[in-house]
Amino acid sequence: MDPAGVFAVRYAQDRALVRTRKQWLALALFLGALAVLPMVVGPRLIAVANIMLITGIVVVGLQICTGYAGQVNLGQAAFMGVGAYTAAVLAEKTGLSFLLTIPLAGVAAAGFGFVFGLSAARIKGFYLALTTIAAQFIFHFAVLNLPGSWLGGSNGATVPPATLFGYRITSDTSLYYLILISAAIMVSGAFGIVRSRFGRAFVAVRDDDVAAGIMGINVVATKATAFLVGAFYAGVGGALWAYMLRFVAVDQFTLFNSVFFIAMIIVGGMGSVVGALIGVFVIRAIQELITTLGPELAANFPFLGGDIVFASMNVFLGGVIALFLIVEPKGLMHRWNIVKSGYRLWPFPY
Amino acid sequence: MIIDFVNYAINGALLGLLYAMIAMGFVVIYRASKVFNFAQGELVVLGGFLQWWMVISLGLPMYIGIPLAFVLAAVVGLLIERIFFARLVGESVFAMVMVTIGLLVLLRGVVLLAFGPQVRPFPIVFPLQPLVIGELLIPTNLLWGGVLTVVMAIGLSWFFNRTRTGLTMTAVAEDHQVALSMGISVKRSIAFAWVLGCLLSTLGAVIFLSGKSLNFLASEIGFAALPVALLAGLESIGGLLLAGVIVGVIQGLATAYLDPLVGGAVGSVLPFVIMLLILLVRPTGLFGWRTIERV
Repeated sequence: MDPAGVFAVRYAQDRALVRTRKQWLALALFLGALAVLPMVVGPRLIAVANIMLITGIVVVGLQICTGYAGQVNLGQAAFMGVGAYTAAVLAEKTGLSFLLTIPLAGVAAAGFGFVFGLSAARIKGFYLALTTIAAQFIFHFAVLNLPGSWLGGSNGATVPPATLFGYRITSDTSLYYLILISAAIMVSGAFGIVRSRFGRAFVAVRDDDVAAGIMGINVVATKATAFLVGAFYAGVGGALWAYMLRFVAVDQFTLFNSVFFIAMIIVGGMGSVVGALIGVFVIRAIQELITTLGPELAANFPFLGGDIVFASMNVFLGGVIALFLIVEPKGLMHRWNIVKSGYRLWPFPY
Repeated sequence: MIIDFVNYAINGALLGLLYAMIAMGFVVIYRASKVFNFAQGELVVLGGFLQWWMVISLGLPMYIGIPLAFVLAAVVGLLIERIFFARLVGESVFAMVMVTIGLLVLLRGVVLLAFGPQVRPFPIVFPLQPLVIGELLIPTNLLWGGVLTVVMAIGLSWFFNRTRTGLTMTAVAEDHQVALSMGISVKRSIAFAWVLGCLLSTLGAVIFLSGKSLNFLASEIGFAALPVALLAGLESIGGLLLAGVIVGVIQGLATAYLDPLVGGAVGSVLPFVIMLLILLVRPTGLFGWRTIERV
């Protein structure tokens, strides 16, 4: 909804994603703030920001698949893993530049996701979610059992650093810019996808797949495409993850991570790209907070033991997921939209 | 040679019956509320830890401690219903299933907070030495577990198909509104289902863990039991027995004969391959009675 008094008088205005001068200003300020972040905060927070941005890419993909197309996907971590391993192997064995390996990792993950999306031809709903759990187990099995010289098996695989014109992108700050630019491209792409005819088809299928079919949407193809797109995002995120840690191992991509991704879109709000990013920010920030405060808590309450951090994080996050589903199933983004339309209409109460 | 084969097959079948017991927890909750409970494995771990707490940590004799652990598990089931599902009556199944995902994370945290991540010894409920018949070696816990599973499956399928309470639970699963207008208490049915699910998980924990060690990673059995539940078809309790035996024998034989060939883990991934095939070929499983909508 536009602010009071703003009307689109040209098609270009009606199509624009950023609609007013103030919104342009806000966007420029936000991107500028992200760009100068490494000069303001310490290396620890930059590392956290890197993880947040990568998770952001992966969760935006999940948002398209689950939030827009309504296909519950519990295999997003496996798709991310496929991307990470593809990037690792391509970079190690063929020495391709990261400019190629990152998109190729996305393509590989998209192919893997598409195969599981195709099962939508036979089943739907939570049966479909179960096949994505199977994807998780098959990914683990494949990595651990393929010959060790291919993927490194249980030892994991090392990744050579990303290099651009002879410059090695290894420091947290240089990685930050690589990840930030990738995230900006992927997120703006997501905004494009969800308002294209594909995005509208996703929403139609989510809301009522029978009605969508009657309107001439190929429902099975749409569902499979949703998986394809979601897995592509996961693959790109996985490739960046590989370049960030310079090491991939199968236990970085577990079912538990997939559950966390789902939690992020629930907290942020289903069916909103910005909501996905907010969910990532909120949950990762809480995780980081608990990790930082954890040792202090353990020191004050020694009877709880030193492993309280992971445990209390789980209690908190599990509680947050349940709380949001019971109290505010539409997520933080919905709350924000209510506030926003409130102040846009002010002082007129209609 | 042949005796090895029989041995592997029998042990596999008994392990399959254990999976069937865990899967029974899934099915009971699914039958009564159409909710797919992703937190089943965590309930098993919780049940296991309650018994550890009672018998090993508090030092109660086993005949007091274990029944007490079952009582506590039932209380946990009631609490889960009161805190989460009582507030979701009439909401979409999607929300409820997502809550079980939240519950998965939450229960893991609660178990870690309350009992810690250490590996704990589990009380020896069934004798440790296996039963020896000729050259067959049968683990006692799995044998007793198999018997218990068969008894429970027969009892519960009678309960769900023949008694008034059981049938009202099916009505609740079908539609909350309709069930309410027919004078069925939706809350009570869901509470009953969760209590039953918790009790079955605790029973599964006794069989699974007797004399072994226990930590929070034991929850993986919850997902290992998924293929059995799906092969049986999510509504069939009696069918779990056959499905459990089929999956168990396949897994047992694969572990024995295929694992050495490819270097391990075929046995643990094969059930999921079976699950994928069932989902693609016959989504209702062997005995499920509802047609699944397809698009």
